[in-house]
Amino acid sequence: MIIKASSYLAPFLLAAAPLGAQWLHYPTPGIPRTPDGKANLTAPAPRTPDGKPDLSGIWQADGAEDNPAVRDLEDVSPTSEGKAMLQPRAPGAPCLPPAIASVPLSPFKIYHLSKTLVMLSEYNLFRQIFMDGRPLPRDPNPTWLGYSVGRWDGDTLVVDTNGFNSERGIIGGRSGSGRLGPRPHSGAMHVVERFRRRDFGHMEVQFTIDDPKVYERPWSFREDVRLVPDTELLEYICEENEKDFQHRVGRQ
Amino acid sequence: MTIRVNRAIALLICLCSASFGQWLDYPTAGIPRMPDGKPNLSAPAPKLPDGKPDLSGIWEADKYYLNPLSLGLKPDEVVLTPEGEVLWQRQKRARGAGVRCLPMSLPAMSGIPGFPFKVLNSTGVIMILYESFGGFRQVFTDGRQLPEDPNPTWVGYSVGKWEGDSLVVHTTGFNDATALGLGGGHPRSESLHIVERFRRRDLGHMEIQFTIDDPKVYVKPWSFKEDMHLLTDTEILEYICDENERDLKHMVDK
Repeated sequence: MIIKASSYLAPFLLAAAPLGAQWLHYPTPGIPRTPDGKANLTAPAPRTPDGKPDLSGIWQADGAEDNPAVRDLEDVSPTSEGKAMLQPRAPGAPCLPPAIASVPLSPFKIYHLSKTLVMLSEYNLFRQIFMDGRPLPRDPNPTWLGYSVGRWDGDTLVVDTNGFNSERGIIGGRSGSGRLGPRPHSGAMHVVERFRRRDFGHMEVQFTIDDPKVYERPWSFREDVRLVPDTELLEYICEENEKDFQHRVGRQ
Repeated sequence: MTIRVNRAIALLICLCSASFGQWLDYPTAGIPRMPDGKPNLSAPAPKLPDGKPDLSGIWEADKYYLNPLSLGLKPDEVVLTPEGEVLWQRQKRARGAGVRCLPMSLPAMSGIPGFPFKVLNSTGVIMILYESFGGFRQVFTDGRQLPEDPNPTWVGYSVGKWEGDSLVVHTTGFNDATALGLGGGHPRSESLHIVERFRRRDLGHMEIQFTIDDPKVYVKPWSFKEDMHLLTDTEILEYICDENERDLKHMVDK
């Protein structure tokens, strides 16, 4: 049995709809601009004082209908334990956090500090990626977003994350040939993200999911994100004006 | 006017039990320590390269912020306008924050022991990551002005500037969907303007002087102070309010 990318996108589309309109016009200081004043998105990627690419900025997935956000998605066979987990709960619907790989599907802001990379998500979540050389915890607390450490491989920031709970699927998104559906994970999941800022306005994030309890082998996909200049993150509070709960079937 | 705090206290106890145990032992780098290796919490406050105090660290309130009276204000110092009274009746009933997993308002957001927050510096901005409700604030210190017509939000839009050794943060752009305290407290409207003066007294101690100015709701502004202590050799936890949610179906008045 092969897990196919299936339709799981609906809650994400719903969740993402109010996030599309970035309303606050405030010129991003210190970015390269073309003569007409627009951000020069093909200028070289900026660098931190130590010479590494600076990943700072507000990023958003290329997620339009004809411009899929999830690319090069690998099909993979589940283990027998994994088959039993194929009906995870919809993440967006009960206002639970999006999985780690879904975070880049809504706008997110990176602050690239010297020892920590902070990701603020418009889902009202943050991640801290520790880049001070610490190892991953050996017996991590199970969490929704995990515990992340980062290191450089040339110009690519490699982020290792463990410490996940086993509450639900990984990601909803779409790929060119199909859709990435609900893929479950266990607490044994280890995610590797490779962030590569190609130029000022474009970054790719390569995900590799290694969860031997659930999948027969590691599998990967890529998300391309683009810089959104001259604006700011919005506040998005999922629970605000909540009217859905009473209509849900299968609620706990 | 009677302030009912029982319900709020019960709520606080429920909410906080999950976050008291700071579990991750990871030594905080670069802080002064005693000969026995413990952090020297009375060492001088660290400085940024530009000479301003470095507010970074994980902070936890010494006392609960429930409402202004819980921090020592007298009832005649916090007087509601008629419009404020109406708003309070509505916001008390809504019981938004905490109960429905909606965000806490300032000043409760930073004033609940057991819900620490982490301050981080970047160029032109000071970030505050709150363990409560997973939320964050960006305090812009790049000289920009408050927006003239801000989007109404739960945590507002914040700009900061230094006055001597105090970081003075002005925040506007609040909605009127919740009250200032946790599970109640005093009301707020879209005209709310909060001033926070952060002063790090030494390595281990910081105070935040709040001024609450909401002319629609209060006859005059009122002020109080929250005292904070530094948490070292640990990290903020992930707190997802909606996880394992069992309450909603039992709520009356929903």
